[in-house]
Amino acid sequence: MPHNKVRNDKERLYKKELEDHQVAILDVLENNTTDAEDIRLSRRAILNVLEDLEVNNAILEQKTIELEQSEQNILHTKAISDAILESIGDGLVVVDKEGRITYVNQAFERMVGWKAEEVLGKSIIEVIPRESEKGEIVEFNERILTKVLSGEIVIADLTNPFYYIRKDGSRFPTSSIVTPIILDGEIIGVVETFRDITKEKEIDKAKTEFVSLASHQLRTPLSTINWYTEMLLAGDVGKLNSDQEKYLDEVYRGNQRMVGLVNALLSVSRMDLGTFVLEPEPTDVTALVRGVVNEQKPQIDQKKISLFPLFGTNIPLIQTDPKLFRIVIQNLLSNAIKYTPEKGTIELSLDLINKKKTLLFKITDTGYGIPQNQQDKIFTKLFRADNVREKDTEGTGLGLYMVKSIIDNSKGKVWFESTENKGTTFNVELPVNF
Amino acid sequence: MPTTITKKLLLIVEDEVSLRNALCIKFNREGFSVIDAKDGEAGLEIALAKTPDIILLDMVMPKLDGMAMLKKLRATNDWGKNVPVILLTNLGADDEHRNKTILNDENVEYLVKSDWAIGDLVEKVREVVNK
Repeated sequence: MPHNKVRNDKERLYKKELEDHQVAILDVLENNTTDAEDIRLSRRAILNVLEDLEVNNAILEQKTIELEQSEQNILHTKAISDAILESIGDGLVVVDKEGRITYVNQAFERMVGWKAEEVLGKSIIEVIPRESEKGEIVEFNERILTKVLSGEIVIADLTNPFYYIRKDGSRFPTSSIVTPIILDGEIIGVVETFRDITKEKEIDKAKTEFVSLASHQLRTPLSTINWYTEMLLAGDVGKLNSDQEKYLDEVYRGNQRMVGLVNALLSVSRMDLGTFVLEPEPTDVTALVRGVVNEQKPQIDQKKISLFPLFGTNIPLIQTDPKLFRIVIQNLLSNAIKYTPEKGTIELSLDLINKKKTLLFKITDTGYGIPQNQQDKIFTKLFRADNVREKDTEGTGLGLYMVKSIIDNSKGKVWFESTENKGTTFNVELPVNF
Repeated sequence: MPTTITKKLLLIVEDEVSLRNALCIKFNREGFSVIDAKDGEAGLEIALAKTPDIILLDMVMPKLDGMAMLKKLRATNDWGKNVPVILLTNLGADDEHRNKTILNDENVEYLVKSDWAIGDLVEKVREVVNK
């Protein structure tokens, strides 16, 4: 034990001091044996030394006890920390600067099937490969852990769950938090905690299936309301007075809104279930965007918004799913209109970039913007930013989720820049396959 | 001599009473001769007996669903092979059916009921039947 060693060293030191005094006294006795005064002085010196020794010894004893207590406390604290780490229900893995595993807890062992002794010192990337929903392995440089180690700030993408692969080759969906370990201002490693979200995924799937089924069932009565209201409004069973017409028109519009909502829910559930099939075909995207702008012109005019569309020349037919691309443009434009105050401005552009290999759609508004602290959630299903909830009560929080899902499935990219009360720019990039 | 305008004969196969009634009322009003059936089995029988000019066919129905009835119809005779059919659905997610069967049949259209105003549906039927 380290403190026992200290104690022994001190004892040795005092013994040595005592011996030195004894030697000194013997020297005095040998050289001047008749001098009684010297002997008396020497005796007193010895007694003093012995007294000092006793005091020092007592202090040493006390210090030793304190040291022992401190050690016990440290051991106790460490035992508690170890027990806490071991008891955490989430998998926990610590890696050093090179990405080598230095610690794993029991939950890690249980979840991935590797024993601590099998993985310590090994590269985490090799031990637990990470892959996307579709089974594509996440490359070393793309791992959050690698990015965090290099000091990059990573914002979790909650819309794209990933999977960890167990020792036996099976996989499980995971949600993880990766945090750098910083010592003296330097990143010396990373600690990652992760959870198996199989249950959550199952619940989400059940919910999605329910939404899908419910939406299908809802469409039948909605069609009934639509068709009968329409026949009444068309005067098929007699002319309506103006109040009747006005009220029925409200019924009809309310029902149309419901149809739109059900369609959005259905699209989302189909995307979540993976039954949304991409049907790419050569598409005149310029005409498509112009068409969407025309459809929404009444809302633009109603709010006296100035619209500045800019279309690149000679954009050829693009291989994309027109139905889905339309949903993307419809949502981005209708959001820009909804969240821009009256007399605001919307600029939109469509052009080829990157040596004509990429299609870029850009839409900028002078609207309410997205609050900084909610920007990472904006593509999350059913999420609506606080500052627009009051202004638009009809929003569903599904539009941008659909946009992101469609663009991700089309191997494209969607991102935005936004400042609250100044405006937002959304950018959509799609690879062009001629 | 008075001119005789032959009304187009439309068969509506739909199991939902409210929707079937709405369609019957509207198409009658718009000058069609309308016959109807409440499931695919009855629909196929009436279709073969009356040989309508066009069929509005629901997808999800008891006994024989729309897809099964369409397949049987196409396998019957020359008339059955070519009669225009508008498939009505509220599923909207039947991509597999749509891709494999419907897109290969030039006499089949596929519409999602809740997305169509009944007036537009009448126009669509007129367009198809007069093609």
